[in-house]
Amino acid sequence: MNNIIIGLLAIIGTLIVYLFMWKLHRRVLLPVTLPIFLGSIVIVLVLLLFHIDYDTYMIGGEWINQLLGPAVVALAYPLYQQRDLLKRLFVPILMGTIVGAVVGIMSGVLLAKWLGVEEFIIYSLVSKSVTTPVSIVIADSLGGAMPLAAVFVMIAGMGGVLIAPFIFKAFKIDHVIGRGVGIGSASHAIGTARAMEDGPLGGSASTVAMVLSAIIVSIIAPILAVWML
Amino acid sequence: MLKLGKIIMHIAILYGIFLIGNWIQVTFHLIIPGSVIGMILLFILLYTKSIKVSWIEDGTRLFVSHLTLFFIPATVGIVNYLQLFSGKGILLIIIVLISTALVMGISGVVSQWFVRKKELHHE
Repeated sequence: MNNIIIGLLAIIGTLIVYLFMWKLHRRVLLPVTLPIFLGSIVIVLVLLLFHIDYDTYMIGGEWINQLLGPAVVALAYPLYQQRDLLKRLFVPILMGTIVGAVVGIMSGVLLAKWLGVEEFIIYSLVSKSVTTPVSIVIADSLGGAMPLAAVFVMIAGMGGVLIAPFIFKAFKIDHVIGRGVGIGSASHAIGTARAMEDGPLGGSASTVAMVLSAIIVSIIAPILAVWML
Repeated sequence: MLKLGKIIMHIAILYGIFLIGNWIQVTFHLIIPGSVIGMILLFILLYTKSIKVSWIEDGTRLFVSHLTLFFIPATVGIVNYLQLFSGKGILLIIIVLISTALVMGISGVVSQWFVRKKELHHE
């Protein structure tokens, strides 16, 4: 009985925090006001302030976690909406995404290994360029920590949006498709939201790259990461 | 009320496809996660018009626009790893940023090269 009350409180609390942050983000449209970022910070602070264990919070949180699987399935819909672009530019988008996936996994592992980072942390950052629900499943299957994976995904998303203008300049990426694929491959949904602000075509390319990247990384990350470590 | 029922129905369909994806993964011992298999399956079903878009549209659209709500509990787990990000842990953030920069630059260059080749070809 007690667990049901705790669970409900955790779920309702998370919903209220999310909705509040969502409204705020609509007013102040910046990467740092993203509900996942500010919302997570608020809940972490509440847990620390009231000495609540993460396990206690997860009595309810686990119910929200149950929806991560269907959330990934739902991504078929935006991909379906972009099916014409997918067909028309299949090779350019796929090639960029595959190369990006390999570069992301290898550079992450090599840099971390070189700096002597612990193995479970390396396994948590291998899949940082793909959307959270896919990334945490990959991290978990490799032996990484899911919350770490979620935070690395967030850093890749928000950091990627901040550095994008410099990267496009440095790599001389001026084509709308190249920019879309670059930001979608590296910074998943957060990057895609940014790309959409610049125009529908770049946003569409970013959407396709983000979804393809999730599929590709989930296939090659286990092979590449295990082989490299 | 009718709209809410429809949305719950749509999400139930997504959940069903997720379970089928999991079943495929376990049965055939695949490394690709069940949820990703489910996503590919739904895409094929939509593309081949095996199921109508209207069967899943409202629920899926709502789901996708509030996707990050479902990421919050997993992300909050960082509360058990906070000590990692003090001192030397800043290096982890730098590693992620460098790697992200490389992915963005190189994937962008590669796809741009292929698009330009294609555009040239068509002229």
